[in-house]
Amino acid sequence: MRAFGEIAERLRRSTVQVFPDQRGGGSGVIWTSDGAIMTNAHVARKDAAEVRLWDGRRFPARVTSRDARRDLAVLRVEAGGLDAAAVGDSSALRPGELVMAIGSPLGFAGALSTGVAHSTGGGWIYANVRLAPGNSGGPLANARGEVIGINTAVINGLGMAVPSNAAAEFLRQGPRPALGVTLRPEEHGLRILQVEPNGPAAGASLREGDLLLGSFEELTAALDSGREVLPVRFLRGERVREAYVRLGARAEAA
Amino acid sequence: MANELAALSNELAAAVEQAGKSVVAVHARPRFSSSGVFWKPGVIVTAEHAIRREEEITVTLPSGKNAPAVLVGSDAGTDIAVLKVDVEGAAVRPAKTAPVAGNLALAIGRSEDSGVNATMGIVSAVSGSWRTWRGGRLDHYIRLDLTMHPGSTGGLVIDVSGAALGIATPALSRIAGVAIPAATIDRVAGEILTRGHVARGYLGVGLQPVELPDHQKGLIVLSLEPKGPAANAGVLIGDILVALGGKPVADTDDIQAALEGHAVGSAIEAGVSRGGAVRSVAITVGERPRKD
Repeated sequence: MRAFGEIAERLRRSTVQVFPDQRGGGSGVIWTSDGAIMTNAHVARKDAAEVRLWDGRRFPARVTSRDARRDLAVLRVEAGGLDAAAVGDSSALRPGELVMAIGSPLGFAGALSTGVAHSTGGGWIYANVRLAPGNSGGPLANARGEVIGINTAVINGLGMAVPSNAAAEFLRQGPRPALGVTLRPEEHGLRILQVEPNGPAAGASLREGDLLLGSFEELTAALDSGREVLPVRFLRGERVREAYVRLGARAEAA
Repeated sequence: MANELAALSNELAAAVEQAGKSVVAVHARPRFSSSGVFWKPGVIVTAEHAIRREEEITVTLPSGKNAPAVLVGSDAGTDIAVLKVDVEGAAVRPAKTAPVAGNLALAIGRSEDSGVNATMGIVSAVSGSWRTWRGGRLDHYIRLDLTMHPGSTGGLVIDVSGAALGIATPALSRIAGVAIPAATIDRVAGEILTRGHVARGYLGVGLQPVELPDHQKGLIVLSLEPKGPAANAGVLIGDILVALGGKPVADTDDIQAALEGHAVGSAIEAGVSRGGAVRSVAITVGERPRKD
Protein backbone atom coordinates (compact mmCIF):
# COMPACT_ATOMS: atom_id res chain seq x y z
CA MET A 1 0.00 0.00 0.00
CA ARG A 2 1.25 3.41 -0.92
CA ALA A 3 1.05 4.77 2.58
CA PHE A 4 0.49 8.28 3.81
CA GLY A 5 4.21 8.57 4.50
CA GLU A 6 5.28 8.01 0.91
CA ILE A 7 2.66 10.33 -0.56
CA ALA A 8 3.33 12.94 2.10
CA GLU A 9 7.08 12.82 1.43
CA ARG A 10 6.56 13.61 -2.25
CA LEU A 11 4.23 16.47 -1.32
CA ARG A 12 6.69 17.71 1.30
CA ARG A 13 9.34 18.16 -1.42
CA SER A 14 6.97 20.41 -3.33
CA THR A 15 6.23 22.54 -0.28
CA VAL A 16 8.37 25.56 0.61
CA GLN A 17 8.64 27.95 3.50
CA VAL A 18 8.07 31.59 2.64
CA PHE A 19 9.67 34.36 4.71
CA PRO A 20 8.71 37.89 3.70
CA ASP A 21 10.73 39.29 6.62
CA GLN A 22 12.18 38.34 9.99
CA ARG A 23 8.75 38.09 11.62
CA GLY A 24 8.14 34.52 10.56
CA GLY A 25 6.38 33.29 7.50
CA GLY A 26 4.09 30.80 5.90
CA SER A 27 4.18 28.07 3.32
CA GLY A 28 4.01 27.83 -0.45
CA VAL A 29 3.57 25.25 -3.20
CA ILE A 30 6.02 24.77 -6.08
CA TRP A 31 3.54 25.09 -8.94
CA THR A 32 5.97 24.76 -11.90
CA SER A 33 9.46 23.28 -12.01
CA ASP A 34 10.81 26.53 -13.48
CA GLY A 35 10.13 28.52 -10.34
CA ALA A 36 6.50 29.65 -9.96
CA ILE A 37 5.39 29.29 -6.34
CA MET A 38 1.80 29.67 -5.20
CA THR A 39 1.09 31.06 -1.75
CA ASN A 40 -1.38 33.29 0.11
CA ALA A 41 -1.38 37.05 -0.45
CA HIS A 42 -1.32 37.47 3.33
CA VAL A 43 1.90 35.41 3.45
CA ALA A 44 3.61 37.26 0.56
CA ARG A 45 2.76 40.60 2.15
CA LYS A 46 5.85 42.33 0.73
CA ASP A 47 7.19 42.57 -2.83
CA ALA A 48 9.98 40.11 -2.09
CA ALA A 49 10.50 37.10 0.15
CA GLU A 50 12.97 34.37 0.93
CA VAL A 51 11.92 30.88 -0.11
CA ARG A 52 13.37 27.80 1.59
CA LEU A 53 13.08 24.39 -0.03
CA TRP A 54 12.67 21.07 1.82
CA ASP A 55 16.41 20.32 1.37
CA GLY A 56 17.51 23.58 2.95
CA ARG A 57 18.29 25.52 -0.24
CA ARG A 58 17.32 29.18 -0.05
CA PHE A 59 16.28 31.47 -2.90
CA PRO A 60 15.30 35.10 -3.09
CA ALA A 61 11.86 35.42 -4.62
CA ARG A 62 9.80 38.29 -5.96
CA VAL A 63 6.04 38.60 -5.96
CA THR A 64 4.87 38.70 -9.58
CA SER A 65 1.11 38.75 -9.04
CA ARG A 66 -1.25 39.18 -6.14
CA ASP A 67 -5.03 38.77 -5.75
CA ALA A 68 -6.19 40.07 -2.38
CA ARG A 69 -9.78 39.02 -3.07
CA ARG A 70 -8.69 35.41 -3.43
CA ASP A 71 -5.84 35.75 -0.91
CA LEU A 72 -3.41 34.35 -3.51
CA ALA A 73 0.03 35.43 -4.66
CA VAL A 74 2.57 34.04 -7.11
CA LEU A 75 6.25 34.15 -6.22
CA ARG A 76 9.02 33.53 -8.70
CA VAL A 77 12.48 32.15 -7.94
CA GLU A 78 15.37 31.92 -10.42
CA ALA A 79 15.79 28.16 -10.36
CA GLY A 80 15.02 25.21 -12.58
CA GLY A 81 14.31 21.52 -12.09
CA LEU A 82 12.28 22.08 -8.95
CA ASP A 83 9.96 19.36 -7.60
CA ALA A 84 6.67 20.77 -8.85
CA ALA A 85 3.52 19.52 -7.15
CA ALA A 86 0.96 17.47 -9.05
CA VAL A 87 -2.10 19.71 -9.22
CA GLY A 88 -5.51 18.04 -9.08
CA ASP A 89 -8.99 19.07 -10.17
CA SER A 90 -10.58 20.68 -7.11
CA SER A 91 -14.06 20.52 -8.63
CA ALA A 92 -13.90 16.70 -8.39
CA LEU A 93 -13.32 16.75 -4.62
CA ARG A 94 -16.13 15.17 -2.60
CA PRO A 95 -16.90 15.51 1.13
CA GLY A 96 -15.43 12.55 3.00
CA GLU A 97 -12.34 12.16 0.79
CA LEU A 98 -9.09 11.79 2.70
CA VAL A 99 -6.99 14.95 2.57
CA MET A 100 -3.60 15.99 3.90
CA ALA A 101 -2.01 19.33 4.57
CA ILE A 102 1.72 20.09 4.65
CA GLY A 103 3.19 23.28 6.01
CA SER A 104 5.20 24.77 8.80
CA PRO A 105 2.63 25.28 11.54
CA LEU A 106 4.18 26.99 14.55
CA GLY A 107 7.58 26.73 12.87
CA PHE A 108 7.70 22.94 12.37
CA ALA A 109 8.82 22.67 8.74
CA GLY A 110 7.23 19.92 6.65
CA ALA A 111 4.60 18.99 9.24
CA LEU A 112 1.74 16.76 8.07
CA SER A 113 -1.91 16.95 9.16
CA THR A 114 -4.55 14.58 7.85
CA GLY A 115 -8.33 14.47 7.83
CA VAL A 116 -11.27 14.48 5.46
CA ALA A 117 -12.81 17.05 3.14
CA HIS A 118 -15.67 18.57 5.15
CA SER A 119 -17.59 20.49 2.50
CA THR A 120 -17.23 22.54 -0.62
CA GLY A 121 -19.25 25.66 -1.16
CA GLY A 122 -19.11 29.40 -1.61
CA GLY A 123 -15.91 29.03 -3.65
CA TRP A 124 -13.94 27.44 -0.80
CA ILE A 125 -12.88 24.00 0.35
CA TYR A 126 -13.44 23.25 4.02
CA ALA A 127 -11.37 20.44 5.49
CA ASN A 128 -11.52 18.68 8.83
CA VAL A 129 -7.74 19.02 9.33
CA ARG A 130 -5.90 20.73 12.13
CA LEU A 131 -4.07 23.79 10.85
CA ALA A 132 -2.08 26.54 12.54
CA PRO A 133 -0.42 29.78 11.47
CA GLY A 134 2.43 28.68 9.21
CA ASN A 135 0.17 26.34 7.23
CA SER A 136 -1.03 29.39 5.30
CA GLY A 137 -0.12 29.17 1.63
CA GLY A 138 0.74 25.47 1.86
CA PRO A 139 -0.88 22.59 -0.01
CA LEU A 140 -4.05 20.66 0.78
CA ALA A 141 -3.84 17.41 -1.19
CA ASN A 142 -6.11 14.43 -1.89
CA ALA A 143 -5.29 10.76 -1.30
CA ARG A 144 -3.28 10.67 -4.54
CA GLY A 145 -1.07 13.48 -3.33
CA GLU A 146 -2.53 15.92 -5.87
CA VAL A 147 -2.82 19.49 -4.63
CA ILE A 148 -6.51 20.45 -4.55
CA GLY A 149 -6.27 23.60 -2.44
CA ILE A 150 -4.11 26.30 -0.88
CA ASN A 151 -4.62 26.39 2.92
CA THR A 152 -5.69 29.90 3.80
CA ALA A 153 -7.49 30.22 7.12
CA VAL A 154 -9.09 28.42 10.04
CA ILE A 155 -12.81 29.11 10.50
CA ASN A 156 -14.60 27.57 13.51
CA GLY A 157 -11.86 24.94 13.69
CA LEU A 158 -12.18 23.99 10.02
CA GLY A 159 -9.34 24.44 7.58
CA MET A 160 -10.36 26.71 4.73
CA ALA A 161 -8.54 26.42 1.40
CA VAL A 162 -8.68 28.19 -1.96
CA PRO A 163 -9.54 25.50 -4.55
CA SER A 164 -6.65 24.58 -6.86
CA ASN A 165 -8.78 25.40 -9.92
CA ALA A 166 -9.07 28.99 -8.69
CA ALA A 167 -5.30 29.11 -8.12
CA ALA A 168 -4.65 27.76 -11.60
CA GLU A 169 -7.02 30.35 -13.08
CA PHE A 170 -5.25 33.08 -11.14
CA LEU A 171 -1.87 31.97 -12.52
CA ARG A 172 -3.29 31.83 -16.05
CA GLN A 173 -5.34 35.03 -16.05
CA GLY A 174 -3.95 37.20 -13.29
CA PRO A 175 -5.84 38.74 -10.40
CA ARG A 176 -9.57 39.34 -10.54
CA PRO A 177 -10.68 42.96 -10.78
CA ALA A 178 -10.79 44.71 -7.43
CA LEU A 179 -11.87 48.12 -6.15
CA GLY A 180 -8.72 48.62 -4.11
CA VAL A 181 -10.50 49.21 -0.81
CA THR A 182 -10.91 47.57 2.57
CA LEU A 183 -14.58 47.06 3.38
CA ARG A 184 -16.63 46.27 6.46
CA PRO A 185 -20.18 44.97 6.00
CA GLU A 186 -22.81 47.10 7.75
CA GLU A 187 -26.59 47.06 7.90
CA HIS A 188 -27.22 49.02 4.72
CA GLY A 189 -24.02 48.46 2.77
CA LEU A 190 -20.27 48.21 2.86
CA ARG A 191 -18.26 50.82 4.76
CA ILE A 192 -14.94 51.82 3.17
CA LEU A 193 -12.29 51.59 5.88
CA GLN A 194 -9.27 52.17 3.69
CA VAL A 195 -8.59 53.26 0.12
CA GLU A 196 -5.51 51.95 -1.67
CA PRO A 197 -3.56 54.94 -3.06
CA ASN A 198 -3.70 55.02 -6.88
CA GLY A 199 -6.16 52.12 -6.89
CA PRO A 200 -9.38 52.05 -8.95
CA ALA A 201 -11.52 53.37 -6.07
CA ALA A 202 -9.11 56.23 -5.38
CA GLY A 203 -9.26 57.12 -9.10
CA ALA A 204 -13.06 57.42 -8.82
CA SER A 205 -12.79 59.76 -5.80
CA LEU A 206 -14.16 57.25 -3.32
CA ARG A 207 -13.05 58.08 0.20
CA GLU A 208 -12.62 56.45 3.55
CA GLY A 209 -15.98 56.54 5.38
CA ASP A 210 -18.17 56.27 2.27
CA LEU A 211 -20.87 53.59 2.47
CA LEU A 212 -21.22 51.49 -0.70
CA LEU A 213 -24.88 50.54 -1.15
CA GLY A 214 -25.53 46.85 -1.76
CA SER A 215 -24.30 43.53 -0.47
CA PHE A 216 -20.91 41.90 -0.69
CA GLU A 217 -22.35 39.25 -3.02
CA GLU A 218 -23.69 41.93 -5.38
CA LEU A 219 -20.34 43.68 -5.43
CA THR A 220 -18.50 40.42 -6.11
CA ALA A 221 -20.84 39.57 -8.97
CA ALA A 222 -20.44 43.08 -10.44
CA LEU A 223 -16.64 42.89 -10.22
CA ASP A 224 -16.61 39.51 -11.94
CA SER A 225 -19.09 40.54 -14.64
CA GLY A 226 -16.28 41.47 -17.02
CA ARG A 227 -17.23 45.16 -17.19
CA GLU A 228 -14.31 47.57 -17.30
CA VAL A 229 -16.26 50.44 -15.80
CA LEU A 230 -18.40 49.77 -12.77
CA PRO A 231 -21.08 52.23 -11.62
CA VAL A 232 -21.29 52.31 -7.82
CA ARG A 233 -23.84 54.06 -5.60
CA PHE A 234 -22.68 55.21 -2.23
CA LEU A 235 -23.76 57.27 0.76
CA ARG A 236 -21.57 60.16 1.83
CA GLY A 237 -22.99 62.20 4.67
CA GLU A 238 -26.70 62.56 3.94
CA ARG A 239 -26.53 62.19 0.18
CA VAL A 240 -26.55 59.19 -2.12
CA ARG A 241 -24.02 59.72 -4.89
CA GLU A 242 -22.84 57.75 -7.88
CA ALA A 243 -19.34 57.15 -9.18
CA TYR A 244 -17.83 55.22 -12.06
CA VAL A 245 -14.88 53.04 -11.13
CA ARG A 246 -12.47 52.14 -13.94
CA LEU A 247 -11.32 48.62 -13.13
CA GLY A 248 -8.85 48.29 -15.99
CA ALA A 249 -8.20 45.23 -18.10
CA ARG A 250 -7.17 42.01 -16.43
CA ALA A 251 -3.39 41.99 -16.55
CA GLU A 252 -1.48 38.96 -17.75
CA ALA A 253 0.56 37.43 -14.95
CA ALA A 254 4.28 37.80 -15.48
CA MET B 1 -1.70 6.18 -10.05
CA ALA B 2 -4.28 4.10 -8.22
CA ASN B 3 -3.36 3.15 -4.69
CA GLU B 4 -5.10 1.67 -1.70
CA LEU B 5 -5.25 4.99 0.08
CA ALA B 6 -7.06 6.53 -2.89
CA ALA B 7 -9.40 3.52 -2.92
CA LEU B 8 -10.21 4.06 0.78
CA SER B 9 -10.69 7.76 0.12
CA ASN B 10 -13.13 6.98 -2.68
CA GLU B 11 -15.02 4.56 -0.48
CA LEU B 12 -15.34 7.16 2.25
CA ALA B 13 -16.57 9.79 -0.21
CA ALA B 14 -19.05 7.31 -1.69
CA ALA B 15 -20.35 6.43 1.79
CA VAL B 16 -20.77 10.14 2.56
CA GLU B 17 -22.56 10.75 -0.73
CA GLN B 18 -24.93 7.85 -0.18
CA ALA B 19 -25.64 8.65 3.47
CA GLY B 20 -25.96 12.35 2.61
CA LYS B 21 -29.13 11.54 0.67
CA SER B 22 -30.80 10.94 4.05
CA VAL B 23 -29.42 14.07 5.76
CA VAL B 24 -31.17 17.45 5.85
CA ALA B 25 -30.32 20.85 7.31
CA VAL B 26 -32.75 21.84 10.10
CA HIS B 27 -33.58 25.52 10.62
CA ALA B 28 -34.99 25.74 14.12
CA ARG B 29 -32.62 28.03 16.02
CA PRO B 30 -30.94 31.38 15.54
CA ARG B 31 -27.50 31.66 13.87
CA PHE B 32 -26.50 28.06 13.23
CA SER B 33 -28.69 25.55 11.50
CA SER B 34 -28.44 21.95 12.68
CA SER B 35 -28.85 18.68 10.80
CA GLY B 36 -31.42 15.91 10.80
CA VAL B 37 -31.88 12.44 9.33
CA PHE B 38 -34.71 10.76 7.39
CA TRP B 39 -35.26 7.84 9.75
CA LYS B 40 -38.45 6.64 8.08
CA PRO B 41 -40.27 7.93 4.99
CA GLY B 42 -41.46 11.46 5.81
CA VAL B 43 -40.00 11.32 9.34
CA ILE B 44 -36.88 13.27 10.28
CA VAL B 45 -35.08 12.64 13.56
CA THR B 46 -32.78 15.33 14.95
CA ALA B 47 -31.15 16.52 18.19
CA GLU B 48 -33.69 18.00 20.62
CA HIS B 49 -31.29 20.59 22.05
CA ALA B 50 -30.91 22.29 18.66
CA ILE B 51 -34.68 22.82 18.32
CA ARG B 52 -35.20 26.27 19.80
CA ARG B 53 -38.59 27.08 18.36
CA GLU B 54 -41.71 25.03 17.80
CA GLU B 55 -43.15 26.98 14.87
CA GLU B 56 -41.80 27.95 11.47
CA ILE B 57 -39.30 25.10 11.31
CA THR B 58 -37.93 24.40 7.85
CA VAL B 59 -35.52 21.85 6.48
CA THR B 60 -33.16 21.98 3.50
CA LEU B 61 -33.56 18.69 1.63
CA PRO B 62 -30.76 16.83 -0.17
CA SER B 63 -32.18 18.27 -3.41
CA GLY B 64 -31.34 21.75 -2.11
CA LYS B 65 -35.02 22.71 -1.78
CA ASN B 66 -36.45 24.00 1.47
CA ALA B 67 -39.58 22.45 2.95
CA PRO B 68 -41.69 23.26 6.02
CA ALA B 69 -41.50 20.74 8.87
CA VAL B 70 -43.83 20.05 11.79
CA LEU B 71 -42.44 19.21 15.22
CA VAL B 72 -44.21 16.00 16.25
CA GLY B 73 -42.59 15.88 19.66
CA SER B 74 -39.31 15.59 21.47
CA ASP B 75 -37.61 13.95 24.39
CA ALA B 76 -34.98 15.98 26.21
CA GLY B 77 -33.79 12.92 28.16
CA THR B 78 -32.41 11.21 25.08
CA ASP B 79 -31.97 14.44 23.06
CA ILE B 80 -34.30 13.21 20.33
CA ALA B 81 -36.79 15.34 18.39
CA VAL B 82 -39.06 14.10 15.61
CA LEU B 83 -40.14 16.21 12.63
CA LYS B 84 -42.58 15.38 9.86
CA VAL B 85 -42.29 16.67 6.31
CA ASP B 86 -44.39 16.21 3.18
CA VAL B 87 -41.47 14.53 1.43
CA GLU B 88 -40.60 10.84 1.59
CA GLY B 89 -36.85 11.20 1.64
CA ALA B 90 -34.34 8.36 1.56
CA ALA B 91 -34.50 6.55 4.90
CA VAL B 92 -31.22 5.39 6.45
CA ARG B 93 -29.93 1.84 6.71
CA PRO B 94 -29.29 1.24 10.44
CA ALA B 95 -26.23 -0.82 11.38
CA LYS B 96 -27.12 -4.37 12.44
CA THR B 97 -24.68 -4.48 15.35
CA ALA B 98 -23.16 -1.90 17.67
CA PRO B 99 -19.67 -0.70 16.70
CA VAL B 100 -16.58 -1.45 18.75
CA ALA B 101 -14.02 1.02 20.05
CA GLY B 102 -11.53 1.85 17.30
CA ASN B 103 -13.95 1.58 14.36
CA LEU B 104 -13.79 4.50 11.93
CA ALA B 105 -16.86 6.72 12.02
CA LEU B 106 -18.04 9.69 9.97
CA ALA B 107 -20.43 12.43 11.11
CA ILE B 108 -22.49 13.76 8.24
CA GLY B 109 -24.37 17.04 8.28
CA ARG B 110 -25.88 19.42 5.80
CA SER B 111 -25.97 23.19 5.48
CA GLU B 112 -28.15 25.25 3.19
CA ASP B 113 -25.15 27.02 1.62
CA SER B 114 -22.58 24.30 1.08
CA GLY B 115 -24.60 21.10 1.02
CA VAL B 116 -23.45 17.89 2.61
CA ASN B 117 -20.44 17.91 4.94
CA ALA B 118 -18.41 15.29 6.78
CA THR B 119 -15.89 14.84 9.55
CA MET B 120 -14.11 11.61 10.39
CA GLY B 121 -12.72 10.02 13.53
CA ILE B 122 -13.05 6.86 15.53
CA VAL B 123 -15.53 5.33 17.94
CA SER B 124 -13.60 5.83 21.17
CA ALA B 125 -15.75 3.85 23.60
CA VAL B 126 -18.80 1.60 23.50
CA SER B 127 -20.71 0.17 26.42
CA GLY B 128 -24.16 -1.16 27.20
CA SER B 129 -27.20 0.74 28.42
CA TRP B 130 -26.34 4.25 29.68
CA ARG B 131 -28.37 6.87 31.48
CA THR B 132 -27.69 10.43 30.30
CA TRP B 133 -27.39 13.36 32.69
CA ARG B 134 -30.67 14.53 31.21
CA GLY B 135 -32.37 11.43 32.61
CA GLY B 136 -33.02 9.43 29.44
CA ARG B 137 -31.62 6.00 28.72
CA LEU B 138 -29.54 5.14 25.65
CA ASP B 139 -29.39 1.48 24.60
CA HIS B 140 -25.64 1.83 24.04
CA TYR B 141 -23.11 4.44 24.98
CA ILE B 142 -21.23 5.21 21.74
CA ARG B 143 -18.57 7.83 22.36
CA LEU B 144 -17.04 9.49 19.31
CA ASP B 145 -13.59 10.94 18.82
CA LEU B 146 -14.39 13.27 15.95
CA THR B 147 -15.02 16.95 15.47
CA MET B 148 -18.70 17.79 15.75
CA HIS B 149 -19.40 21.21 14.30
CA PRO B 150 -22.55 23.06 15.41
CA GLY B 151 -24.09 22.67 11.95
CA SER B 152 -23.74 18.88 11.99
CA THR B 153 -25.41 18.45 15.39
CA GLY B 154 -28.31 16.05 14.86
CA GLY B 155 -26.63 14.70 11.74
CA LEU B 156 -25.94 11.10 10.86
CA VAL B 157 -23.09 9.00 12.21
CA ILE B 158 -22.10 6.16 9.88
CA ASP B 159 -19.45 3.47 9.75
CA VAL B 160 -17.24 3.10 6.65
CA SER B 161 -19.82 0.86 4.97
CA GLY B 162 -22.38 3.67 5.21
CA ALA B 163 -24.57 1.94 7.82
CA ALA B 164 -26.14 4.29 10.39
CA LEU B 165 -24.69 4.05 13.90
CA GLY B 166 -26.95 6.80 15.18
CA ILE B 167 -27.39 10.53 15.44
CA ALA B 168 -24.64 12.92 16.45
CA THR B 169 -25.04 15.02 19.58
CA PRO B 170 -22.50 16.96 21.63
CA ALA B 171 -25.10 17.67 24.34
CA LEU B 172 -25.13 14.39 26.24
CA SER B 173 -21.52 14.31 27.40
CA ARG B 174 -19.09 16.96 28.49
CA ILE B 175 -16.03 15.09 27.30
CA ALA B 176 -17.02 13.92 23.82
CA GLY B 177 -19.68 13.73 21.19
CA VAL B 178 -22.04 10.80 21.42
CA ALA B 179 -24.02 8.86 18.82
CA ILE B 180 -27.63 8.33 19.95
CA PRO B 181 -27.91 4.65 18.96
CA ALA B 182 -30.29 3.42 16.30
CA ALA B 183 -32.14 1.16 18.78
CA THR B 184 -32.85 4.15 21.04
CA ILE B 185 -34.09 6.22 18.11
CA ASP B 186 -36.42 3.40 17.00
CA ARG B 187 -37.83 3.13 20.53
CA VAL B 188 -38.12 6.85 21.40
CA ALA B 189 -39.15 8.12 17.97
CA GLY B 190 -41.75 5.35 17.81
CA GLU B 191 -43.26 6.50 21.09
CA ILE B 192 -43.20 10.15 20.02
CA LEU B 193 -44.97 9.26 16.77
CA THR B 194 -47.77 7.36 18.54
CA ARG B 195 -48.13 9.53 21.64
CA GLY B 196 -46.53 12.88 20.77
CA HIS B 197 -44.12 12.58 23.67
CA VAL B 198 -42.31 10.07 25.82
CA ALA B 199 -44.31 9.21 28.93
CA ARG B 200 -42.11 8.63 31.98
CA GLY B 201 -43.32 6.79 35.05
CA TYR B 202 -43.97 8.90 38.17
CA LEU B 203 -44.59 8.06 41.81
CA GLY B 204 -44.97 11.57 43.24
CA VAL B 205 -42.43 11.15 46.03
CA GLY B 206 -39.22 12.89 47.10
CA LEU B 207 -36.69 10.26 48.15
CA GLN B 208 -33.38 10.13 50.03
CA PRO B 209 -31.21 6.99 50.12
CA VAL B 210 -30.70 5.64 53.65
CA GLU B 211 -29.02 2.66 55.24
CA LEU B 212 -31.22 0.56 57.49
CA PRO B 213 -30.02 -0.98 60.80
CA ASP B 214 -29.80 -4.43 59.22
CA HIS B 215 -27.40 -3.05 56.57
CA GLN B 216 -30.14 -3.16 54.02
CA LYS B 217 -30.56 -0.10 51.89
CA GLY B 218 -33.64 1.83 50.96
CA LEU B 219 -35.03 5.27 50.17
CA ILE B 220 -36.91 7.29 52.75
CA VAL B 221 -39.92 9.31 51.63
CA LEU B 222 -39.22 12.95 52.46
CA SER B 223 -42.04 14.54 50.53
CA LEU B 224 -45.24 13.36 49.00
CA GLU B 225 -47.28 14.95 46.27
CA PRO B 226 -50.84 15.29 47.60
CA LYS B 227 -53.11 12.96 45.63
CA GLY B 228 -50.03 11.70 43.75
CA PRO B 229 -49.67 8.03 42.79
CA ALA B 230 -47.84 7.05 45.99
CA ALA B 231 -50.12 9.10 48.27
CA ASN B 232 -53.19 7.50 46.70
CA ALA B 233 -51.72 4.06 47.44
CA GLY B 234 -51.39 4.97 51.13
CA VAL B 235 -47.65 5.70 51.27
CA LEU B 236 -46.77 8.14 54.10
CA ILE B 237 -43.89 10.53 54.68
CA GLY B 238 -41.26 8.63 56.66
CA ASP B 239 -41.92 5.32 54.92
CA ILE B 240 -38.83 3.62 53.53
CA LEU B 241 -39.01 2.18 50.04
CA VAL B 242 -36.94 -1.03 49.95
CA ALA B 243 -38.18 -2.71 46.76
CA LEU B 244 -39.94 -1.76 43.56
CA GLY B 245 -41.24 -4.08 40.87
CA GLY B 246 -39.93 -7.05 42.84
CA LYS B 247 -36.32 -5.80 42.99
CA PRO B 248 -34.50 -4.20 45.93
CA VAL B 249 -33.82 -0.45 45.51
CA ALA B 250 -30.83 1.39 46.96
CA ASP B 251 -30.76 4.67 45.04
CA THR B 252 -32.81 6.77 42.62
CA ASP B 253 -31.22 5.05 39.58
CA ASP B 254 -32.86 1.81 40.74
CA ILE B 255 -36.20 3.60 40.99
CA GLN B 256 -35.87 5.00 37.46
CA ALA B 257 -34.80 1.64 36.09
CA ALA B 258 -37.82 -0.04 37.69
CA LEU B 259 -40.20 2.62 36.35
CA GLU B 260 -38.69 2.53 32.88
CA GLY B 261 -39.80 -1.02 32.19
CA HIS B 262 -43.25 -0.33 33.53
CA ALA B 263 -46.23 1.01 31.61
CA VAL B 264 -47.77 4.24 32.84
CA GLY B 265 -51.23 3.57 34.29
CA SER B 266 -50.55 0.05 35.57
CA ALA B 267 -49.81 -0.95 39.18
CA ILE B 268 -46.30 -1.65 40.43
CA GLU B 269 -45.52 -3.64 43.55
CA ALA B 270 -43.58 -1.60 46.15
CA GLY B 271 -41.95 -2.93 49.31
CA VAL B 272 -42.43 -0.31 52.04
CA SER B 273 -40.82 -0.48 55.49
CA ARG B 274 -42.86 1.25 58.20
CA GLY B 275 -42.13 0.87 61.89
CA GLY B 276 -39.74 -1.98 61.20
CA ALA B 277 -42.22 -4.09 59.25
CA VAL B 278 -42.12 -4.38 55.49
CA ARG B 279 -45.44 -4.38 53.73
CA SER B 280 -46.35 -4.59 50.07
CA VAL B 281 -48.18 -1.70 48.45
CA ALA B 282 -49.51 -1.55 44.88
CA ILE B 283 -48.89 1.89 43.39
CA THR B 284 -50.57 2.86 40.14
CA VAL B 285 -47.74 4.49 38.17
CA GLY B 286 -48.60 7.99 37.01
CA GLU B 287 -47.08 10.04 34.22
CA ARG B 288 -44.36 12.50 35.16
CA PRO B 289 -45.70 16.05 34.70
CA ARG B 290 -44.00 17.76 31.76
CA LYS B 291 -42.88 21.35 31.46
CA ASP B 292 -44.87 22.98 28.70
